[in-house]
Amino acid sequence: MPLSTQSQADNDQYILIASLDNARNLSNILKAISFREHAIFNATQNGLKVTVEDSKCLQANAFIQAEIFQEYIIKEDAVGFQVNLTVLLDCLTIFGGSTVPGVCTALRMCYSGYGYPLTLFLEEGGVVTVCRIKTQEPEEPIDFDFCSTNVTNKVILQSESLKEAFSELDMTSEVLQITMSPSHPYFRLSTFGNSGNAHYDYPKDSDMMELFQCTKIQTNRYKMSLLKPSTKALALSCKVSVRTDSRGFLSLQYLVRNDDGQICFVEYYCCPDEEVEEE
Amino acid sequence: MKCVIEGNGVKVFGKAVHALSRIGNEIWLDPQEKGLAVRTVNSSQSAYACFCFTPLFFQQYIPDPDIQNGCEAVKCMLNMKCVLPLFRCASWKERRVDRCEISVNIPNSRVIFQFHCRHGITKTYNLGYQECEALQAVFPAHLCPNVLMAQSKLLGDIVVHFPVSQEEVTLSISSFKVTLKTFCEEENNCIKGMNTELMLHPDEFDYFQVGEDSAVTFCLKELRGLLSFAEPYGLPVNCQFGVAGQPVSFTVKDMTLEAHVVLSTLTDPNHESPSQPAPGDDCPVNVTNTSTAEITTCESPMETEVCVADGEHVASSQGSEVFNPDLHMRKMIQLHAPGEILPKLSLIPESALTTPVTPATSKIRSLLFGAVYSDGGKDKTADLPSLACASDTEDDGGTEE
Repeated sequence: MPLSTQSQADNDQYILIASLDNARNLSNILKAISFREHAIFNATQNGLKVTVEDSKCLQANAFIQAEIFQEYIIKEDAVGFQVNLTVLLDCLTIFGGSTVPGVCTALRMCYSGYGYPLTLFLEEGGVVTVCRIKTQEPEEPIDFDFCSTNVTNKVILQSESLKEAFSELDMTSEVLQITMSPSHPYFRLSTFGNSGNAHYDYPKDSDMMELFQCTKIQTNRYKMSLLKPSTKALALSCKVSVRTDSRGFLSLQYLVRNDDGQICFVEYYCCPDEEVEEE
Repeated sequence: MKCVIEGNGVKVFGKAVHALSRIGNEIWLDPQEKGLAVRTVNSSQSAYACFCFTPLFFQQYIPDPDIQNGCEAVKCMLNMKCVLPLFRCASWKERRVDRCEISVNIPNSRVIFQFHCRHGITKTYNLGYQECEALQAVFPAHLCPNVLMAQSKLLGDIVVHFPVSQEEVTLSISSFKVTLKTFCEEENNCIKGMNTELMLHPDEFDYFQVGEDSAVTFCLKELRGLLSFAEPYGLPVNCQFGVAGQPVSFTVKDMTLEAHVVLSTLTDPNHESPSQPAPGDDCPVNVTNTSTAEITTCESPMETEVCVADGEHVASSQGSEVFNPDLHMRKMIQLHAPGEILPKLSLIPESALTTPVTPATSKIRSLLFGAVYSDGGKDKTADLPSLACASDTEDDGGTEE
């Protein structure tokens, strides 16, 4: 493999090296959060966390654990940088992203530290491409202060059922209203569009409902434009957990299986649009 | 009004909505004792469609006012764009819908469509509606001299030969054949693009009745919806028409529903005698404004409108003028001179209702390919009507679009 024939000297200069036999295991999950141009990378011993934010109201994080990588070397406690996500994705799929089985792009991602570009070595069928992407000063991701202790309502659904609902959502509605309650309607998605209202009700005993923990009735509205990008993550996932806390902040956590069946996570945090009277 | 549709019925109802959406932009719901009528009319009011679902179609059907729940037998007009997405075909393939409930909530002016789906999921849509008078076309079927009945598959096989963009076609009938061909506004323009003409022997039809030789020109696009609806269910289609200018009606009937599409046809001021055989290039149909100057409501070239029941005006949402039914009834009656009201029945013996029409016996011949038209057992041999005189004199007679 050409990528592994780099000299030891080269490797010494890098503070982060992450290699994948199949670059799609990274590119697919990054596509699920690629609604803005810039992404904040934060690498630790545990793995890679990539964050994308929108207008201080929405945050998406993708987690790729160290175990997913065939090679993962980090020489500092935490390595952070910011890159243009669109460019990164274009590089990761530079060979065209063919889905022919057995043919995939191998990746070796290297970073030398502050001020250095992110270097990608990509190989497919004996052809090697080297990409150097400029990095920027990483912004501090917003801390939504969403902690498990504050969670009032939580449900875990099989993505299948939500995918259909999200694909049918009335886009003329400015908001998506989520109602969670220990009694009817249990879990409800509502839209208020030009033609009228629409409600999608998921009962707590539905076989699509894997977990139902609702302590009190909560109704919150979120801007449709903010939540629409989460559909990409939903499409990749097999399960999704929906949680709201006492402030009405929304946390969506998606369980994604990559090409090799390994598990990665994507999460979205969203601020509520307006306060709705809670009963 | 409240009704419940079970499983497969939801698919049928959805297909009916799709068929209606190909004609009009609004959908009228009219709960009656005999069933739920779902209707539409196109913006130029030259095409009308109605699907009437009998109480048998529903698991539960309550047209009457249900005062306690605020439901009344009100007539509602909904925007087609709001209703159509509710019946997206994708869902039916996966059979996710167990039940659909349709009810009308007067206090909130909402029609409620509630779908009970697999896994206990419920989808509820509250759509705003406009209260209105019933939309109804009165089509005097008994005045139609010509009646054809064919399996929807046969008609589907016929229309597939016409490009989807083809607007108007001419259906001609005489005692020995039925012809369907592309309509050309001017004789010279017939060379533009591809022209298709199909001739059918009366045997092709389950029922064939020609009372008056005629050629009617109508919009094919508006009929396709009904044909796509009828074909999967293998339902026969009944076609009734008279002379040019009179509306043509297509009907599909079943135990649980009855669907009508009524289309207006072009008048043919040059066509004096209705008994000429195979009108085509011999008597070109010219679209003029002179013969039907009284009709002021029409915006399209179609010069006869569908008759609206007396006393009920169709208010087009596009704001076009309201129908004057009396005017149209007069015109309808004018087309039938006294003594001609009784159709001249000339039933071909072979075309009894019991004649089965199977794909193997289908003998559609397309003149475009110059196939020989052979007719068994008839005295008259038809002259091969020239598709377009120009095709003999010009080189590009076979230009395709």
